[in-house]
Amino acid sequence: MLICNNLEKSFDNVLFSNFDLTVKPGEIIAITGPSGCGKTTLLRCICGLDFIDSGTITLDDNDITEWPAEDRGIGMIFQRPVLFPHLNVEQNLLLGNKSGDVEQSLKEVNMSGFENRSVNNLSGGEGQRISLARALLANPRVLLLDEPFSSIDEELSMKLVEDVRKILKKRQTPAILVTHNKTIARKFADSVISLS
Amino acid sequence: MLQWLMHKMRTKLIHKLTIFCYFSIILIPLWLAVDRLVWVAGYDVVGWFHAINENYISNGVLGFTVFQALLSTIITLLYGLPIAWQLGRYEWKFQSLIKSILTMPFVMPSIIAAIGFLQIIGNNGLDLRSNDSAMYTTLILAHAWFNLSLVIRFCEPVLSTLDPSLEDQLRLLPAGKSFYSRLRILWIPLLAPSIAAAACMTFVFSFTSFALVRWITVGENTLESMMAEIGSSAGINGYMIARNEIILSSSIIQFAILLVSLWIMSELQSRRKNAIPFKPEKFVKKRNPIGWAIILPGLCFSVLPLVMIFISSFRIRTIENGVSTLNWSTEGWSFAFTPTNVLPSAYDALLNSLGYAFFTLLFALPLGWGLCNAIIHHEKVNPRFARFIDIMTLLPFAVSSVMIGLGVMLGMIRINPEFFYSSWFTPVIAHVMITTPFVVRILLPAMRSLDPIYDECGMTLGLSKVNRFVKIRLPLLKGSIIIASIFTIAMSLGEFGASWVVTRNSDWTTLPIIIDTFRGVPYDRTLTVPAANAIASILMLMALSVFTFTERFRKSEQGGMF
Repeated sequence: MLICNNLEKSFDNVLFSNFDLTVKPGEIIAITGPSGCGKTTLLRCICGLDFIDSGTITLDDNDITEWPAEDRGIGMIFQRPVLFPHLNVEQNLLLGNKSGDVEQSLKEVNMSGFENRSVNNLSGGEGQRISLARALLANPRVLLLDEPFSSIDEELSMKLVEDVRKILKKRQTPAILVTHNKTIARKFADSVISLS
Repeated sequence: MLQWLMHKMRTKLIHKLTIFCYFSIILIPLWLAVDRLVWVAGYDVVGWFHAINENYISNGVLGFTVFQALLSTIITLLYGLPIAWQLGRYEWKFQSLIKSILTMPFVMPSIIAAIGFLQIIGNNGLDLRSNDSAMYTTLILAHAWFNLSLVIRFCEPVLSTLDPSLEDQLRLLPAGKSFYSRLRILWIPLLAPSIAAAACMTFVFSFTSFALVRWITVGENTLESMMAEIGSSAGINGYMIARNEIILSSSIIQFAILLVSLWIMSELQSRRKNAIPFKPEKFVKKRNPIGWAIILPGLCFSVLPLVMIFISSFRIRTIENGVSTLNWSTEGWSFAFTPTNVLPSAYDALLNSLGYAFFTLLFALPLGWGLCNAIIHHEKVNPRFARFIDIMTLLPFAVSSVMIGLGVMLGMIRINPEFFYSSWFTPVIAHVMITTPFVVRILLPAMRSLDPIYDECGMTLGLSKVNRFVKIRLPLLKGSIIIASIFTIAMSLGEFGASWVVTRNSDWTTLPIIIDTFRGVPYDRTLTVPAANAIASILMLMALSVFTFTERFRKSEQGGMF
């Protein structure tokens, strides 16, 4: 269980303060809000890419507030697919887990047979599916999704929203989605929080 | 937060250490050298500049240096622009091979160019060495040969990436009916920054030319060759004070001219960038059979000095009954590798050169990498300091190789003369000073363009710092690291000016130095010139292999010097 308690972060102005959030096992939460309200920064603080000014983040009873990102066990899918261009699909996936079952992972995201493909030839949707497969292969304790559907066309993004939700629910992986699209938020998450 | 703070402090410490190392290696020897020269010459700055005018050694040298550099620049542009135009505007069979051959002279060590042109005008070729004016023409042509690559690399990308429909459109408008009007409206404004940048760099290289001046225009000095020749008697208290004054004033003049040229060049480069599309499109280009009339002579001229070196390594002069004849033989090659009481063996020179190149790489690459990291880090937190380090890494470009050699020599003598005269390692210091700025210039743009999201993504996948470095950062920067490494090795192998000054008073020799030594042996030793050509052929082959290998990692649209 992920518990964010009294989080505060400011750059030039206060992005969020007194922010509390609890994500139970298997629960999917969406955070919506206008551009610049601190949604992405919140995710970056939770996974350790940025640090909060005050407050605590607890994951499965461990205070991870000061832990470096690589030790937190929190996965993240970025706005655009971040796939390493010097590695093929399989090698990209194995970065998440050296002994992971690549075939099964690809099957899970409907990308079977893509093992040896170059990541440079994938479409936006395919790239996000591979990013998801890689993040899941690392068996994250929580998965953070930073507007991963925004760079894909509407029809495809709705399909991807359904697919990703099914996979997360099947695996009982807790997740936080950040989006400015309320339709996607409602369709994807069990509950929606608005950050203003 | 505590862990994060400790990580930040560790990073800061590494950056500070790198910057300190750089300043120690690059600036301290130069500072000590100036200090020693001033100690001998005194503080009469006006007197230093009087000495350059009044002394017979330096009289007229500045004028000749500027004149030959200006003329070389003009001839290089006249020779290079038509070739760049043909390459950029038309489709050619074997385009990349043509480009490689034409740009190859630039990666050749300067001593190779000198030896090659000596063969063309020597008794193996046109036999013009006794003609004084032919010597000056040869020097200018040799500079044009050497710097052609700059004109092609600067101008060709602008020409080849411009949408041809722009010219077609202009042709249909009243203002662009004639070729000259199109040149005035379209091409000159577009090409001017690139032409000027190429001109600036050609001027800089011709201004600081050493090996070519030393060997082609015997008896006539540029500031660079003069400083190299009188440098060994400088820095001794009470001895030949005028020479110290001449070196000081020449260095200041040379430094100022180079600094201004490089500043203009850097301004032009940023304007030039705007002329090249960020993502160049490929356009269907026409073929131009008549253009071969420009390309073919260019190709022949590019390979001629190199072919002459190789052929001449097998031509042995024999003198019988006062008559000199040339015969084919491999004796020059065997002589090159046989040590004598007077001359060292090419084996020694080869091993030394490889050793120096290896150690130069060992120091210059991590140092350059660290500096790039420090610059990028400070660009985020303290842009002014980042700009300061950036400029400091450019500083050695404004100091010629002979000045660096003098810096190392006089600086080391100031610290520990015994170590300077006996240490095998000394040339490495000069080579590191020369190559580190190139490493920074190659790595910095690549590291700047590396999206930090890759590293962040690696973090969220649980990869440790070492793993992220090995699996993500290193492979993504592989091309630039290889280019920087090869460039460092090639520059160290072919470095002549600084090595000549530094090794002059020691037993250590390198391939370019041994070529110079063999060429300097009196004319009645018939095997020394073919032996010098044989060693030059080996050096040439090494430079060529390195160049061909590097080309595989270069993006064609990059242009520029590296």
